Amino acid sequence: MVDIDVDAGPLGEMTATEQGVTAVVVAFGAVLLFGLLSGRLAPTYFLFLVGLAGMYALLSLGLNSQWGFTGLINFSVAAFFGIGAYGAALTTASSSPVAGGFNPAYGLVVALVAATVLALFIGLPTLRLRADYLAIASLGLAEVVRRVVLNERRWTNGNLGVRGIPGFFDGWPVLSTFPEAIPGLRIAVPLGATVELGEPFYRMLLNVLLVTVFVVGSYLLLSRVHRSPWGRVLRTIRADEDLARALGKNTYRFKLQAFVLGSLVMALAGVFYAHLNLFVSPATLEPITTFYVWVAVILGGTGSTRGAVFGGVVVVVLREGTRGLAGLEGIPLDAPSLRLVLIGLLIVLLMRFRPQGVLPPQRELIWPDVVDEAPDRPETGVREARGDGDD
Amino acid sequence: MAALGLFANGLVFSSIIVLGSIGLSLVYGIADFANFAHGDTMTVGAYAALVTLGALGSVGPSLFGLPAAFFLALCAGFVVAALVAVATEKLVYEPLEIGSIGLLITSIGVAFIYRGLVQMVFSAESARYEVRQLRPIEALIPYGVRVTYHDVVIVVTSVVLVGTLHVLLRYTDLGRKMRAMADNPELARVSGIRTDRIRLVTWVVGGGLAGVGGVFLGLFNRLSPRMGFNLLLLVFAAVILGGIGSVYGAMLGGLLIGMVHEAMPLLSDLGTLLPLVPDAVGIPVGIEYAEAVAFVIMVAVLLVRPTGIAGEGG
Repeated sequence: MVDIDVDAGPLGEMTATEQGVTAVVVAFGAVLLFGLLSGRLAPTYFLFLVGLAGMYALLSLGLNSQWGFTGLINFSVAAFFGIGAYGAALTTASSSPVAGGFNPAYGLVVALVAATVLALFIGLPTLRLRADYLAIASLGLAEVVRRVVLNERRWTNGNLGVRGIPGFFDGWPVLSTFPEAIPGLRIAVPLGATVELGEPFYRMLLNVLLVTVFVVGSYLLLSRVHRSPWGRVLRTIRADEDLARALGKNTYRFKLQAFVLGSLVMALAGVFYAHLNLFVSPATLEPITTFYVWVAVILGGTGSTRGAVFGGVVVVVLREGTRGLAGLEGIPLDAPSLRLVLIGLLIVLLMRFRPQGVLPPQRELIWPDVVDEAPDRPETGVREARGDGDD
Repeated sequence: MAALGLFANGLVFSSIIVLGSIGLSLVYGIADFANFAHGDTMTVGAYAALVTLGALGSVGPSLFGLPAAFFLALCAGFVVAALVAVATEKLVYEPLEIGSIGLLITSIGVAFIYRGLVQMVFSAESARYEVRQLRPIEALIPYGVRVTYHDVVIVVTSVVLVGTLHVLLRYTDLGRKMRAMADNPELARVSGIRTDRIRLVTWVVGGGLAGVGGVFLGLFNRLSPRMGFNLLLLVFAAVILGGIGSVYGAMLGGLLIGMVHEAMPLLSDLGTLLPLVPDAVGIPVGIEYAEAVAFVIMVAVLLVRPTGIAGEGG
């Protein structure tokens, strides 16, 4: 038997798929770096893409804590994303029909409170339902929310959407003037024209900073929560709800808690979107967003926190990639159709060949210290422990 | 008077919903999953008819203001939608070894593929069938009923199809097997019914009726790649209201949901219509919330009586 070298660094401890994913990520990063250095990819647009990827990662993290941890089929992701975006927009925007012009920090609070209320409004009635009924009911209620936003013009401006949303850091002590204060840079990149880093670049950099804080915060919180006793109950509910109930757990209450928690993370993504795009419209609540996030979670690996982040990034690559592909000469396809077909094919192929996703949860369900302290092999052989099998 | 007109409109819209909901309910009962691609199967039928009508042109004698070619196109809608449904079952659903939730998620992917392909070929713009637009039937206008001969065709054809299905289910061997399988697939199989064959028949009937419903939806409104997906939740509402797996429940549910959808203006002056209720009473909900009301009814039914009107047991 070949002795496997266990001390070969982090790469050696990975499974084959993990190595594959790492290779793809590194290769993709290299392509992006080349694009940046050769001037083909504008740095500001690149940062915008990073922001979008972070936003989808947040949405996937939220859905993952509902579907991946607890097994709740929530098809109302777009509603929570939308309520987050509208909550922030209506509080902060200059053109807000309600009471705009507040500091974005208040917008964040309003968005989170609104998302909690909506989560209770959708969750309280539907979480008692069977899984497939929950799917249909939540999709229906998300559609009700979209209709309300579309038609209640007094409150939401209806079809026109809300304009004039400030950046998230406007009104903050140092950060609000940061983009103008920093002198513009002209960098002569080695492989192409000079790249100018001006005010828009720094503005986008702040956005990326914001989404990074959101993603890292949610990631740490959710991984911690997933391993906690509370998270274990959720996993039991997902595996066998009757068992959890037999153990004396009030499963409805746990499901509701998980539902609200996930919805808050989705609303965070909405808040970020409002301050990234500076404009929100009822199109934000279209059900297609929900299904993009579902693809991200299933692709990443249901129940896997890092998988959710990975899936979110892949979905942005798919979304923006089809835009680029359809823009090429000689391909007579329009981007939205191509995107729909690709997303559909991805779902069908995943369910056929890898329903557990690319990065299914493995060690992340165990406390890391336990893994670190565990010996690589038993300290004594089985035979020795039994005393050489004499007795 | 106004109520009569809304009732007539409701009947037309209900016919379309019923055609969709029968197929969805059959598949839900026999293949045991919520098929989110059902709405887009309707779209496929509608566009198949558009192509057929375009190829044949509007020649030939006309009946109820529709050329003979339209009725051929209707058949094409049935056949193409049924073929697409069967091909999807063979290629996608049958090889899968996952539970009903996995199938549900897969069917969303299938829905996107249908819609994306339709949109690639026909563009996202809406289209119309090449048939003459009709004015409402003169004789009925005094009664406040504004329906065209097209609407009459929709209702009559739906009634004929539903009646045929009723005969098929009640009085033929095949229908008995289908009902047996919807009740209890395991028991049906050990009784010697070839369940995989029945599954295929289910897809043919369900897909075909959805195709016809799609053609009528295109005649009633317009065609667009999103038409079926937009209708899907209403169809689900009808199926759930009627009781999942029950064909007769789906008919009743479709009728009710279609009526509610079209009769929204009545809600605001409910008091004047009902006896014993003061005139001022009314639910002030605008017609733009017609679908939202249907969805709320759906959720309420799920909560209060998940088995629906006609369903028995869990």
